[in-house]
Amino acid sequence: MATRPPKQAQDRSGEGGAAGGFTIEDVKKLVQLVEKTDVTHIAWQKGPEKVVIRRGTVTPFVSGPVYAPPPPAIHSPLAPLAAPLPVGAPAPAAASAARAEPEAAQPGVIVSSPFVGTFYRAPSPDSPPFVDVDQKVKKGQVLCIVEAMKLMNEIECEVDGTVAEIFAQNAAPVEFGEKLFRIVPG
Amino acid sequence: MFKKVLIANRGEIALRVIRACKELGLATVAVHSTADAESLHVRFADEAICIGPPQSKLSYLNARSLLAAADVTGCDALHPGYGFLSENAEFAEMVTQLGLRWIGPRPEMIKLMGNKVAAREAMERAGLPLLPGARGKLADAEEAERIAAEVGYPVILKAAAGGGGRGMKICRDPGEIGKLFETASNEALAAFGDGSMYLERYVEQPRHIELQIVADEHGNVIHLGERECSVQRRHQKLIEEAPSPAVTPALRREMGEVALGAMRRIGYNNVGTVEFLMDEKGRYYFMEMNTRIQVEHPVTEQVYRLDLVREQIRLASGERLDRSQDSVAPSAHAIECRVNAEDPVTFAPSPGKIVGYHQPGGYGVRVDTTAYEQYKVQPHYDSLVAKLIVTGATREIALKRTIRALNEYVIEGIKTNIPFHKRVLAHPAFVAGQYDTRIVDQILNPPAAPEEAPPPPRTKAG
Repeated sequence: MATRPPKQAQDRSGEGGAAGGFTIEDVKKLVQLVEKTDVTHIAWQKGPEKVVIRRGTVTPFVSGPVYAPPPPAIHSPLAPLAAPLPVGAPAPAAASAARAEPEAAQPGVIVSSPFVGTFYRAPSPDSPPFVDVDQKVKKGQVLCIVEAMKLMNEIECEVDGTVAEIFAQNAAPVEFGEKLFRIVPG
Repeated sequence: MFKKVLIANRGEIALRVIRACKELGLATVAVHSTADAESLHVRFADEAICIGPPQSKLSYLNARSLLAAADVTGCDALHPGYGFLSENAEFAEMVTQLGLRWIGPRPEMIKLMGNKVAAREAMERAGLPLLPGARGKLADAEEAERIAAEVGYPVILKAAAGGGGRGMKICRDPGEIGKLFETASNEALAAFGDGSMYLERYVEQPRHIELQIVADEHGNVIHLGERECSVQRRHQKLIEEAPSPAVTPALRREMGEVALGAMRRIGYNNVGTVEFLMDEKGRYYFMEMNTRIQVEHPVTEQVYRLDLVREQIRLASGERLDRSQDSVAPSAHAIECRVNAEDPVTFAPSPGKIVGYHQPGGYGVRVDTTAYEQYKVQPHYDSLVAKLIVTGATREIALKRTIRALNEYVIEGIKTNIPFHKRVLAHPAFVAGQYDTRIVDQILNPPAAPEEAPPPPRTKAG
């Protein structure tokens, strides 16, 4: 899975593993462990830090450093093996499946990432998040930052409404078109 | 050696690079547009990142997205493949500035060769022969006539600003050059807003011959012989072979020595290709240099038994060339057919879903492709579906094996140029190895009466 290079982690030490008890390598190992087994949930505390890894559904944002399994749209090493190879699999890519399903079922407008980068929910590691679930938002209000090449790009809300869902994890890499928020207009 | 490589490309070359990385024990990151989410390079890479919508400009040509993808995945090297940003010096520079290694020649090499006029001047200074003619713009018809007399007829007048055949005139004798100069110059003025002309010796039967260069970062450079790329339609190569039927071992040695001298002088690194135009007398002239891996690199790999992409990565990481010029020699004959999604008669693109697929195999057959049953050939990119590379001990064996392999190849749901490949391979001039860049036109528009009797065909398709 995509990890941030260490030099990046130091830039925003709040979410990086470099300063605390867990290293990126530790988390990678945990993620691999979860992927190789049927385990769906691992919580591991080491000193003041706690790592929670869940697979499948998106975990709600928890304060403190929280590491999530790879977002489904970015293929993990296991993805190509899990799906039957080329021979006519109808919906092979996890990405397209994940992208297609909720839009129909859930009401609201999906805000997706306009480019590849790193998703940040707050303007700085010490600040409160721009928005939270159930919060009312206005058109033009900043929802998050997607950082690409050290440039902080503020992503604005396109409608007035309520934040119904936040898909991406803070400080996680996001790809083009990856879902970030669901906003219910009103 | 690197740890993780971002492959800034798509299709078969992305897969080709991923394979080389895996064999070197390197982690791989594929990038893809939304249209390519189900492509094989995405499946076989360790990680994949969607970098944009289908249009190349917003995805595979989007430097910022590519660099961000390399950044968030923690890559330490980037392989550009061919096409897209592979010969963009500015991008190579950005990659380097980000602390990543660019798997290819240094940005200044890319920049030098990217400017065709500067490249020709530099290579002439470095000792490569250029087509005789006027280097700069011609003042008037009198100057054209004077230089043409020095160069020798026939000559071709070309628009300095031009391309695509406009403002181009072939002159066969001194009597017509004055009139043709005016016509061509006016044509160029109308087409490009600039009537300035230059002049070169005209080659009646040009062959496209290119030399594979491999150089490390320590001043060692070798060549891996030539590829014959004269089977082209509208400057798009269709079939390549190595060695060229027109190049003798002595000529190969000579061309190689001249090219290696030039490469040493400019300090070239990594892989590259020196393109020559060869006339009917075996005289060769530098045309341009490609500072990247080429589509047709596999024919050289087969003949010289060297994995060029692996070598590219190895050399970019600072490792040394592990062979000398004396230790390399062509050991077989290889032919590559570019299987394109296009109508074999009209050559119109034919994107769509492949509903039936069977790939040839057996001794001496290699297929570099990302095609599979249910794969959708995208309309957004080039039409290359597969490269069929066939190797044989001799040219004759390779030729028959290629025809055999083409006959086994089944691609249903889209049209491909496989039937056209069979026509070329059965053509007497190709069979005899006596062809030049006019061969595709000669096949499509056969002359009413055969002017010269080609040798009798020895092979029948089938």
